[in-house]
Amino acid sequence: MTHRCVASAQGFAVLLAAALVVAAGAVPARAETAVPARNEAFAAGTAKAATGTAEAADQKTIVIDPGHGGLDVGAKGKFGNLEKTVDLAISLKLKTLIEQNMAYRVLLTRDKDIDVSLENRSALANNNNAVVFISIHANGSFRTATGAETFYMSLTDLDEETRKLAYLENNSSQLETRISDDGKDAVKMILWDMAQASYIKQSASLAEAIQRELPALLTTEGRPSRSLAVENRGIKQARFKVLTGVACPAVLVEVAFMSNPEEEQKLIDEDFQTSVAHAIYRGLVSYMRTAGSRPPAPAPSPAPLP
Amino acid sequence: MKTQKTALVAGLLIVLAVLVAVLFRSGGREVIRKSAPAAAGPPAPSPDASAPKPTLKVSVFFVRPSDGLLVPEEREIPVSDSLVQETEAFIAELIKGPTGDLAAAIPRETKLGRVYITKEGTAYVDFSRELIENHPSGTTAELSTVYAVVDGLAFNFKDVKKVFILVDGEERETLAGHIGLDRPFSPDYSLIGKK
Ligand SMILES: [Zn+2]
Repeated sequence: MTHRCVASAQGFAVLLAAALVVAAGAVPARAETAVPARNEAFAAGTAKAATGTAEAADQKTIVIDPGHGGLDVGAKGKFGNLEKTVDLAISLKLKTLIEQNMAYRVLLTRDKDIDVSLENRSALANNNNAVVFISIHANGSFRTATGAETFYMSLTDLDEETRKLAYLENNSSQLETRISDDGKDAVKMILWDMAQASYIKQSASLAEAIQRELPALLTTEGRPSRSLAVENRGIKQARFKVLTGVACPAVLVEVAFMSNPEEEQKLIDEDFQTSVAHAIYRGLVSYMRTAGSRPPAPAPSPAPLP
Repeated sequence: MKTQKTALVAGLLIVLAVLVAVLFRSGGREVIRKSAPAAAGPPAPSPDASAPKPTLKVSVFFVRPSDGLLVPEEREIPVSDSLVQETEAFIAELIKGPTGDLAAAIPRETKLGRVYITKEGTAYVDFSRELIENHPSGTTAELSTVYAVVDGLAFNFKDVKKVFILVDGEERETLAGHIGLDRPFSPDYSLIGKK
């Protein structure tokens, strides 16, 4: 790790040069493509906010992203069930749980069966200053793999400069002092499509916290249950398109395998969906505690199930 | 006379050293040149027609059904002077699918367009649209497909450092809704399962 730190001094010169070029408007194309997406999602975000509570001003936002939707059905089960439907059902339950028990506003990237571009999903989080982004999915494999896993973004394929910047942002406040305000904005613009790189450590903690809860699903009475439990596939990193542009801690939860007939039956079961929502909620609460955000009020104990 | 002889020996040694170096440079790859049958007899009339072509042993990764991880099957492909031809032969084996209990990592109907490899070692591998249209979707399935190609090429051909997957000659946002295809992949051997 330390050698990267030394190398980053040189990298910074290059980066700054690039930043200045963008600031000077020599490369406007990127800025232009980023702006429409932000505006669209901004509009979507405010529309949602308007229908929500009025006192949302000082409330922090959590974005939940039900995978797929519309023509994009996601993974398909042997019995004809579709991933997009299960993703939405679990997301809606999770939204309710958070709103009942935590002092956060929850925005969904979709609340019905519609197509939403991946870019607009991350833009919704960024334009509403979300503190956490959770994407909910059901997995698919060739053949019969089983289990639950939580992913966060993989940085292995980033170019060197982006990786250096990500390293600095994850490890120190050097960035703030070493770069002028103008330069900082330009750097942010360059990295808009790679925003997640700066939050990778927190995303890893969030993934860990959720995955700790996910395999040991509880019954509606709060007891562990063999029939609900799923195999623990652990936390992993992968290059999810939906996570790359998210400028806050972000994870993608693969609840169970739609491609496995046994797990397909679980996924469409409402008790299972409720248990999954509770598990993700418990993970989120424990992440928020360790992340040192102000304690959510009222007390973060799961609400009694209906 | 004596100096001439030492010069000759030295020259031969140099040639040998160069040959060894070239052999090693071409990687740890195992080229199998099938020798002609040992049985005595007249030499074959047309050696180019009857001599068995040398082959290259490659590990082709397929999906283990139980956990979705990648495990290798050994295959032999024709040796070629062209890295592009060898990588195309490798991808053809990958599409052909497994012979044993493993599952294919690529939809069977997929056709390989072509491979292009840059000087820096980035291989552009172009598949037909069936790669995404017939894909079952799902994160694990997409990871299987991507890394069967990426890890497979990087593992067997040391001159391939990164792989950019194209579909019908174009860059795609994702494979089937999850994994981004918008930049080249480095190999990730964490998806390879222990035997
Ligand atoms: Zn999905």
